[in-house]
Amino acid sequence: MKCRRLIALAVTMAMGAAVSGCAADAGTTKAKAACATGPVTVGYLPKLGTDPYMTTIRDGANDAANLIGGEVFYTAPSEATGAAQIAYVNQLIAQKVGAIVISGSDLNGAAAALKKARQAGITVISVDSDVASDARSLFINQAKSDELGSKMLDSMAELIGGKGEFAVLSSTETAVNQNAWIKDMKARLASDPKLKDMKLVTVAYGQEKADVNAQKAKSLVQAYPNLKGIIVPAGIGLPAAAEALSQTGDLGRVKLTGLAPATFIKKYVHSGDVQDIWWNVRDLGRLSYYAAQALAQCKLDAKPGQKFSAGDLGTFTVGANGEVILGPAVVVTPENVEDFAF
Amino acid sequence: MANTLRSRLASWDYILAALVVVLLVTASLVQPGFSGGFNFANSVSQMSDKALLVLPLALLIIAREIDISVASIAGLSGVVLGMALQAGLPLALAITLAMLAGTLCGALNALLVTVVGLPSLVVTLGTLALFRGLCYVLLGGAPITDVPPSLITFGNETLPGTYLPWDIVPFLVLAPLFALYLHRTATGRRTYAIGGGPEIAVYSGVRVNRIRFGLFVVSGLVAALAGVITVARTSQAAPDGALGFELDAITVVFLGGVSVLGGKGRMPGVCWALVLVVALRSMLQLANVSGYAQGAAVGLLLILSLLITNTTHRIHAALTSRRLRKVPVPRPAGP
Repeated sequence: MKCRRLIALAVTMAMGAAVSGCAADAGTTKAKAACATGPVTVGYLPKLGTDPYMTTIRDGANDAANLIGGEVFYTAPSEATGAAQIAYVNQLIAQKVGAIVISGSDLNGAAAALKKARQAGITVISVDSDVASDARSLFINQAKSDELGSKMLDSMAELIGGKGEFAVLSSTETAVNQNAWIKDMKARLASDPKLKDMKLVTVAYGQEKADVNAQKAKSLVQAYPNLKGIIVPAGIGLPAAAEALSQTGDLGRVKLTGLAPATFIKKYVHSGDVQDIWWNVRDLGRLSYYAAQALAQCKLDAKPGQKFSAGDLGTFTVGANGEVILGPAVVVTPENVEDFAF
Repeated sequence: MANTLRSRLASWDYILAALVVVLLVTASLVQPGFSGGFNFANSVSQMSDKALLVLPLALLIIAREIDISVASIAGLSGVVLGMALQAGLPLALAITLAMLAGTLCGALNALLVTVVGLPSLVVTLGTLALFRGLCYVLLGGAPITDVPPSLITFGNETLPGTYLPWDIVPFLVLAPLFALYLHRTATGRRTYAIGGGPEIAVYSGVRVNRIRFGLFVVSGLVAALAGVITVARTSQAAPDGALGFELDAITVVFLGGVSVLGGKGRMPGVCWALVLVVALRSMLQLANVSGYAQGAAVGLLLILSLLITNTTHRIHAALTSRRLRKVPVPRPAGP
């Protein structure tokens, strides 16, 4: 009996809190169209807190914050799903940051929460991996998406002499970037006469885990005896695949290219059996921070054609669909591999 | 009188309730933004789908069974909902189909456990992988985003004029029903009997398999409802929807004082445990504690809770036996 009464009490209290909470801070949900007068706190919401790519973006953002003021606030989800990011978006809203920079785990998972943030007057931009375009104002992209797919394909063509079977070892089945690149690769394979002798035999998934990538790379080599190369468009996958195939002695006969931090695969790049498409990730962090501050202080309007300055990175122009591009990606070769800090 | 009071104070429900109060007061004092309505709404909404999974799981574990495929059923039902919506079916029909899919999944578990006689841990371990695999087979990589605005509102807005999120309403309706079933009906008492000793229950005339069958089907149905909420909350039907939710749900059930061996545990305790986990996660979230450390904290809470009950029961038993030297010591209830 007592027990039930206690629960009834608790429920009543919760309801009371819910209702009184409404009266207390109903004002905060109203949009505050006002511009920030000085540098704001920028919340960085990565796919995974421990991802070295994301911590490098954070370091770049910190560099910029030291120059132009404001603060970087970094959060750390433990699961790479859009749904897991919702709680973090809400956390940043509750802490009243001035801007949110998100790398979307998927397009729509956190979109509704991000829209809430925008209603609360918070600037939202995406970096590295986009979210639904009505949930953010700008998308700071490392390189043109279709350019990356093509570059990886060109790199593979160069490695295997434009002829033979190759496979793709992607990240997860739902990864937005990777799926777009693979689609572009398939389209170009079908249309470009220069690549007519190259055949994409399969797409496998390494699930963003080193051991799974190593295992999949080995089984691809087993399953396709004529395989001459694998494209691994994922930062964790390419080093893992290179390591696994060098252990089995298949690296060399099977060439690798893809996307990964240049420092992770330096020794394999030197051997000439592995190429890599990469860019300066720290610059991406700096650019995103400059864009977030400019938007929050109304120095930039997120419309195509508008320009903003990002310190010594230069001046950038907002493109179609609010996309801002860091710059062309570079093919990492034995000659330039030492230039990359990450 | 003093004895009943002491045994009541030592009961797990009260310890949990005390923990909840302590945590809420501390968090409100220490953590800025914790006591606001905005944080209340978000924290509650965040757990709304997991909370539903807890209800049938508590019944199953009390009946000495388990269903670890609940999150996969939720995921698969979400996928069915998404595909139905994509095919242009009206929302009500699509939700019905999703619930039907969940019920069928539950019935498959039920068949394998009751008719074939396989252990439920193994059966649902298999269907966990089977149903999740089906999500990927049906959807491929791309999530379905054709979710009607009314459903998105349900998953992201609060009841007008309050800070109570819409998506917790199904739980608030179902939780009392589950408590009534367990504590106020004959079938509820039989559920305890099955968990206490399945063979004795059989010889006492309890239709053991019939009740088990029902519990697994209900588990599937409620999991499907959770799947619909996940779709609403995330505005999409993704193949990885509700992934890994079973661990949180099982943690809450054990934390709530349900015995691993079955036959013991009460709904109020489970509900307190749920509030405790919601409050803890919300507090850690606002303190910008990483997702990994949050998981570790919930795990630690579970271990600590078992230690505390164990110790309090021992102290209680020792005190009682000193008072009533020759009277047999009543075994205190608890996990």
